[in-house]
Amino acid sequence: MRARLILIAYAVISVLGLMMMLARENVYVVGALVLGFLLLGHRELWSLVRYRRLPVIDERVRHNLTGAMRLTGGFFFLASIVLILLLRFDVFENTPTGLIISGLLVIVGVVYLISYHYYDRVCPNLGETAMRWLKICLITAGLALSTVALAIVLHNMVSAWFGFEDAFFFILGLLVAPAVLAASLLGSLAVFIKGLWASFRGVEPA
Amino acid sequence: MKTRMKEYRARLSLTQEKLAEIVGVRRETIIFLEKGKYNPSLKLAHSIARALEAGIEDIFVFDDD
Repeated sequence: MRARLILIAYAVISVLGLMMMLARENVYVVGALVLGFLLLGHRELWSLVRYRRLPVIDERVRHNLTGAMRLTGGFFFLASIVLILLLRFDVFENTPTGLIISGLLVIVGVVYLISYHYYDRVCPNLGETAMRWLKICLITAGLALSTVALAIVLHNMVSAWFGFEDAFFFILGLLVAPAVLAASLLGSLAVFIKGLWASFRGVEPA
Repeated sequence: MKTRMKEYRARLSLTQEKLAEIVGVRRETIIFLEKGKYNPSLKLAHSIARALEAGIEDIFVFDDD
């Protein structure tokens, strides 16, 4: 009952939001919200179409939802800070604001979807070793990403202070760190897919 | 933690779907429980034990035991 009320409230607020966005001609944001709704609510929508009822939200699903929302909230917070900084330095130049916001919303939606699948499908199917590898890969990716940003800043600072073109931070920021980032992201993706695949393979008939 | 849910469910000729319906969870939750990949709350464990007409300690066996 509570889940149904939340869904109805969410639908009403979404429709009002969409009408407001349409009135302001923010078509991209409307598109992103509709896409997000379809991506996030595909299970509920499928259940409504197929069985004419909402799926049960049991304690496992509630736990997964809470974990996914916490991760997505953290990502949204960090991504908003980065976006504000990028906008402050006018990185996007003539890109329409609606397009930038819709991009952020779509990415946040995708992060939510990945997080939910991580808790729902991947996490229970991975052993201790695979989980350790996933953690190592994600931490390495985070460190590599930070190194890229830091190396760019340090390269500019060293070049400005000492008056010569710095090579160390340039190579670190533009070659080494991105390569490590790509490798660690590929590693995490491989472990993630392994867990997801195990879940699909392991489903038994009722 | 190991479970003997499958065994008790078979004794009562209950499908995963039916058991899920009785205890008010999704079928996937029953699948994860039977594989020992999800630790239920005490409330859910109690509901399952009641549905399977057994005690909690008969259905859910901890490795330390």
